[in-house]
Amino acid sequence: MTNGWVDIKNTDMMLIMGGNPAENHPCGFKWAIEAKRQRNAGMIVVDPRFTRTAAVSDLFLQIRAGSDLAFLGGLIRYAIENGRVAHDYLVNYTNAAFLIQDGFRLDDENGVFSGFDAATNVYDRSTWNYQEAEPGKVAHDFTLEHPRSVFQLLKKHYSRYTPEMVERITGIPRDQFLKAADLFTGIRKDGDMKKAGTILYAVGWTQHSSGTQTIRTAAMLQLLLGNVGRAGGGVNALRGHSNIQGATDMAGIFDILPGYLKMPNPADKDFKSYLERTTPKTVKPDPWESFNYWSNTPKFAVSLLKALYGDAAKKENDWAFHYLPKIDRKYSWVEIWDDMYRGTIKGLLAFGMNGVAIGPNSQKNIDALKKADWLVVCEIYPDETSEFWKSPGISAEEMKQIQTTVYRLPGAGFAEKDGTFVNSARWLQWKNAALPPPGMAKLDQEILARIFLKVRELYQKEGGKFPGPVLNATWSYTDPQNPSLAEVAREINGRAVADVTDEKLKQTIQRGQQLPGFAWLRDDGSTAAGNWLYCGSWTEAGAMIQRRGTDDPSGQGIYPNWAWSWPANRRVLYNRASCDAAGVPWDADRKQVWWNETQQKWVGVDVPDFKPDSPPKDHMGPFIMNPDGVGRLFAPAAAFVDGPFPEHYEPTESPLVNPLHPKQSSNPIAKRFHSSMDKLGTVAEGYNIVCTTFRLTEHYHYWTKNNEMNVQLVPEPFVEIPAELADDLGLRGGEKIKVTSARGEYVAKAMVTRRIKPMQIDGRKTYQIGIPIHWGYRGISEDAGRTALKLANLLSPAVTDPNANTPEFKGFLVKVEKL
Amino acid sequence: MPGNLRVQAISGHSGAAPGSGAQRQERVAKLIDTTTCIGCKACEVACLEWNDLPFRETAFDNTYQTMPQTAWNYWNLIKFNEHTAADGSFHWLMRKDQCMHCADPGCLAACPADNAIVQYQNGIVDFQQEYCIGCQYCVTGCPFNIPRFNPATKKMFKCTLCTDRVSQGLEPACIKACPTGCLHFGTKEDMTALAQTRAQQLRQHTAHTNAGVYDPAGVGGTSVIYVLHDIANPEAYGGLPANPRVPWAVRLWKGPLKWLGNVAMIGGLIGVTLHYLRFGPKKVEEHGK
Amino acid sequence: MENSILRYSLVERVMHWIAAVTYCYVLLTGLAFYSPHLYWIAMVLGGAPTSRFWHPWIAVTFFGVLLWMLRTWAADMRITSVDRAWGKQMKRYIENDDEALPPIDRFNLGQKYFFWAMLFAGFVLLVSGTVLWIPEKLPWSLRDVRYIAVLLHVSSALLTIGAFIIHVYMGTAMVRGGFTSIIRGEVSPAWAKMHHRLWYQRVAGK
Repeated sequence: MTNGWVDIKNTDMMLIMGGNPAENHPCGFKWAIEAKRQRNAGMIVVDPRFTRTAAVSDLFLQIRAGSDLAFLGGLIRYAIENGRVAHDYLVNYTNAAFLIQDGFRLDDENGVFSGFDAATNVYDRSTWNYQEAEPGKVAHDFTLEHPRSVFQLLKKHYSRYTPEMVERITGIPRDQFLKAADLFTGIRKDGDMKKAGTILYAVGWTQHSSGTQTIRTAAMLQLLLGNVGRAGGGVNALRGHSNIQGATDMAGIFDILPGYLKMPNPADKDFKSYLERTTPKTVKPDPWESFNYWSNTPKFAVSLLKALYGDAAKKENDWAFHYLPKIDRKYSWVEIWDDMYRGTIKGLLAFGMNGVAIGPNSQKNIDALKKADWLVVCEIYPDETSEFWKSPGISAEEMKQIQTTVYRLPGAGFAEKDGTFVNSARWLQWKNAALPPPGMAKLDQEILARIFLKVRELYQKEGGKFPGPVLNATWSYTDPQNPSLAEVAREINGRAVADVTDEKLKQTIQRGQQLPGFAWLRDDGSTAAGNWLYCGSWTEAGAMIQRRGTDDPSGQGIYPNWAWSWPANRRVLYNRASCDAAGVPWDADRKQVWWNETQQKWVGVDVPDFKPDSPPKDHMGPFIMNPDGVGRLFAPAAAFVDGPFPEHYEPTESPLVNPLHPKQSSNPIAKRFHSSMDKLGTVAEGYNIVCTTFRLTEHYHYWTKNNEMNVQLVPEPFVEIPAELADDLGLRGGEKIKVTSARGEYVAKAMVTRRIKPMQIDGRKTYQIGIPIHWGYRGISEDAGRTALKLANLLSPAVTDPNANTPEFKGFLVKVEKL
Repeated sequence: MPGNLRVQAISGHSGAAPGSGAQRQERVAKLIDTTTCIGCKACEVACLEWNDLPFRETAFDNTYQTMPQTAWNYWNLIKFNEHTAADGSFHWLMRKDQCMHCADPGCLAACPADNAIVQYQNGIVDFQQEYCIGCQYCVTGCPFNIPRFNPATKKMFKCTLCTDRVSQGLEPACIKACPTGCLHFGTKEDMTALAQTRAQQLRQHTAHTNAGVYDPAGVGGTSVIYVLHDIANPEAYGGLPANPRVPWAVRLWKGPLKWLGNVAMIGGLIGVTLHYLRFGPKKVEEHGK
Repeated sequence: MENSILRYSLVERVMHWIAAVTYCYVLLTGLAFYSPHLYWIAMVLGGAPTSRFWHPWIAVTFFGVLLWMLRTWAADMRITSVDRAWGKQMKRYIENDDEALPPIDRFNLGQKYFFWAMLFAGFVLLVSGTVLWIPEKLPWSLRDVRYIAVLLHVSSALLTIGAFIIHVYMGTAMVRGGFTSIIRGEVSPAWAKMHHRLWYQRVAGK
C-alpha cells in the first residue's frame, strides 16, 4: 500500500477492483466502512461477481475476469477527455511533461510496442525512454502540448479505450461505465484538489498474464487525478496473507535481495559492476531537483553483506559479493515446478505452503513431485502436498512406483510463534506467542536452524563445492539451535560494526549499537543491516515494532507510536505530493506534511517522505525513489518488460479476440510452458465459459478445512454459477456439476445465484462462473467423504505475468456439465 | 450500565416479579446496521466461542448462510438474501438474526414455567434452563421465530444478549467481534439516536432514500434494533416481520380465554354444589312398584 | 347382592378407570401449565419437566381408551328417538322428577352427550396437542396453525373439564348407586328399572 488500512477512512471515493476486501480483509475493511459513515465516501465495486464487498457498495459493475485494464484505460480516457485531471500535480509531480524518444510507438495494427522481436518474443526496449536534452537532463514541455510529451502520447494511447470499446471488452454496459467514470473522477471535478480518491485492489488484478500492467494503469490513473501521496488516496494493495508484505520485503522472491535490492546476475563480474548496474543515475529536467534515494544502493548492499557474512565480508574481498547467488534466468514459483517436472530439481523443502493445492495446474505439480527424490513438508496438518502420492486417481500399483521420500515435520501454528507480521500498510507489528507448540511440533526458526547447522557441520567435516557462504554466514545467536526472533529482528535492523559518526549531526553511534535509521548506513563496512528498509525498527531506544501507542493527535489515523512502519515510520508514502508546489497542503483539513518557512524544513503529522530541508523553490520531485523524482505515467528505462504504457491484452484463454488488435490478442511475452501438461483451451473446443477463482471469508486457504468451526460455517466446496446458466443446464442449486478446463476437472455442488449475470462480451452472450479454492483431498469434509476430492487449481493454467511472474489463476476458460 | 441484572418480569409467576421497580436500570440495546454488514460471520463465531456451544454438522444449501435458521446451539445467524428491489436494483442483504429481546416478550407471555423466562430491567429477556420444562410454548409465543428446543436436554435456548458479559459491564460477544462496526451496543436511548442518525445519513447521502430504523412498536420496541436500507420491506431480510406482535392467539389464550375458563370451571363447581343443595341425590325406591 | 344385574363388565370397568386415571393426570398437569396459580400441581406430580414429559404420552393413552370405548359402546351410545324424547324433558331429570321421564335404554342422553363430547374434544386435544408437542416441526410459514392449536387445545380442554365436573358429580353424589356400578359392575333391579327401564327389560325382562 502507498497509504495504509486506517488511512482509508480519510477517503472521499473508493474504487475497489480485483479485490474483495469485505470477504478477504474484513478487519481492514472497517476503514472503508468508516469512510462511508464519517465522510459519506462513495464506493464503486467492479468485480466478476456481486461480492460481499459489492453488497455494501454504492455502485457495482460486473466485469469479465481479465479485462480490468481495459476498464481502467477507459477511466484514463474519460478523465482526460472531461478535464478531470489534477493539472498542477501532473505538470510538477509526474513525467507528463517529459518528452519521449521518437522511436517509441505502439504498432496499432500488430498490437505490439516498438522493438518487438516476434521470433524470440522479446522487446528491445531502448526506444522506451526519455529524450535527453543533454546527458542526465530530460527534454520537457511544461505546457504538455508537445506531441512527444508523455501526456500527449498517453492521451493518444488511451483514446482507443472508448466507452464502446470498454463495453465490448469488459461486458460493462456503456451507461454503467460512464456512471462509474463520472463518480470516480468526480473528485477532481473542475480541477478542485480538495478531495481524494483511493483504489483498493488485491490478487484479482495480480493473477493475470497482464497483472502488473493492470496495477500500473491504476497507478497512472491515480497520478492523473493527483491522488498519490494524499491522505485517503493512493494505490493500495490488499495483501492476502498476514505477512505477505514481510515475505516480499525480506526477499521471499527469487529476483530480489532484502529491501528490494536487485539480485546479482552472471554479468555482474564484481561488486562494482553490480552496483553500477543496480544504482540508478539521476535523470531530470534541468530546472528541477531529484533526490534519487536509490543512489544509496551501495550503502544498503554493503550493509546487507556485512549482516550476512560478518567479518568474512571485507573491502578486500568485495564484501563477499561472490558468495551471493547469481541468477541466470527466472526461478519463480511456476518455474520451480516446471524444473521439477522436467527432472532438474530433485528435492523440495515446503514450509508454510501447500504447493500442490496452490497450483496452478495442480496435476503438473503432483506429477512433478512423483519425479522428485525427496520432499520435506513442514505443516500443522497433513496436507495435499505431503500426501500427493495418494492423490485421487493414483492407483495402488502406481503408488508403489512413486519413489519420492516424504518427510513430514510438525510445525507450529501462527498463535504458537512470536515474531512480526508486516501488514499491507507496511507496519511491522510484533506479536507474542499465545501458547507453546503441541507435542513434538517445533518453531520454524528451530527447524531451519537445525537443518542449517547440520549442513554446515557436514561442510566442515566433509567439505563441499562452495563452502564459503555456508561456513561464513553469521550465526551469532544466543541459542544457535533455536534463534530468538527478537535477536533476528535486531540483526535485520542493523548495528554499527565500528563507530559511525555523522559530521552534520555531530553524533556518533558506537560500535555494537543498534542503528537508529537507514540514513546511518555506510558503504565502508562500518554498518551491518539485514534489510535497510527495516532499519529503525529496533533501535537502542527499544523495539519500535512492539510499540502499542494509541495516540492519534492528527485524527487522521496515523498512530505514529503504534508499531513501526517502513520506511522510517512513514505512514503515507510520497506524502510531499499532498502539498502543492509551494509546499502548502492541497486540503487544509487533511494536512499531512508541509513546508515550514521559519524552520526551513518539512514538518507535519506524518514523517515527511522527502529530503527534509529541500525548499519548494528547488522543485525536488516528491517521488524520491525514482531517479527522475516524479510519478511515472510513462515507465522509462526498461522498468517493465511488456510496455511503458499498459495495453489491454486478453487472458491467454479468452472467449474473444482482442478488439483493440486482433493480430495480437494476448500478452505477447507472458510466460507459457510447453510440457504435455500445459494445455490451453479455446472456445472452438467448447471451453466457452469464463472461470475465476476466489476465497471465502469463512476459510483460510487450504488450512481451515481441518477446523471444525470453519467447516461448520461453510462445509463443502461449491461453484457459483449464474441462474441463467443453471436454467440452460436444467440445474438446481445443490446439484453436482463438473467444470472442465483443458488441464483438468473440478466437481462440486452448484450455487445457483443471481449475483453473477450473463454478460455481452463483444456482442456475444458469455457466462462467468466462480470457484472458491479452499478444498482438496485432505480435510474434515474430505475425510468424511462429503466432497469430490478435487483441487480448484487442477483447472488453472500455468501462464505467468512477465513482470511479476504471477500465474493466471483468474479468467481462464472452462465448460460446465450437470452430473 | 454495568452492575447486577435486576428482574423486571418473570414467566409463569403469580404476582409481581420480586424486586421489580425497586431500582432504576437503564435499558440497553444492540444496534445492527445492515447497511454496513458484510456477512463475515465473526458474530456467529464469537457467539459460539463465548457461549461454548457445541458444533453441529451443516450442509450446503445453495447459500452463504450457515444454516436455514438459528438452532439451540447456534443463537446468532446471519441471513443472506438476494433481493431485487421494486426499482429493479439488485441487493445482497445480510442480516444478523437472533433474539430481539422484546419489551413485550411473547415468549415470556406464553411460558407456563415459573422463572423459566426472565426479563431484566435493562431489557434483556433470558431463558433460565434450570426452570425450563421444555413445553416449547415460547416457540408459539415468539413473533420472530427464535426459541429453539434441544431434544436431548428438553430445554429451550436462544441468545442471552450475553447477560454474563453485560452484567459485568462488557458488550455482548458478537459486538466485540464485529470488524466493520456494523454492531453497536449501549443504552437503548443512545442506540436509537445513533440508528436514527445513520438512517438519516443514508436517506440524504445514498440511494437508500427509504432507509429507516426497525424497532417494532407491536412488541413494545426491542432491545435489538436494525437500520434497514428499506424500512418498508423488512420481510426481504430473511423474514423479518413487518409488524410483529405477540400472537393474537397467545394474547387470547393468556388473557380472556383464561379468565373465561376460570369462571367456567369455578362456575361448574358452584353449579353442581347448588344443584345438590337444592335437589339432592336421586334415590331409587327399592320397594316401588 | 341378590337379584343384582351386571351393568358393567370387568373389561368395561377397567376401561373406564384407565380413562379416568389418565384423564385426571392429563387434567391436573394441564391445569398446572394453564395457570401459574396451579403450577404447584406439577410439583406435586413429580416436577414440571416430568409433568410436561408425560402429559402428551398419557394423553395419547387416554385417547386410545376413548377409541376402545367407542368400539365397545358404539351401539349403546347411538342417539335414538327415545333419547330425543327424553331429552325434551331433561329439566325433570335435573329436578329429580324421574317418574315423569320416558323409559330409556342402557345410557341416557346426558351420558351419551358426555361420551361423544369427550371423544370429539379428545380428538381435538390430540391433534392440537400434537402441534404443541412438537411446534418446531411446523414450518414458520404455517405458524398460524400453532396459534389455532393453542386456542383449540385450551377450549376443548375446558369443554372436557365442564363435562368432567358434571360426570363426577352425577356419578358420585347425584345418582346414588352409579358409583358402585362402575366399581363392582352391579346394580339392583330397582335401580335399573328406575334409570334405564328399557335396558332392564332387555337384560332381565325376558
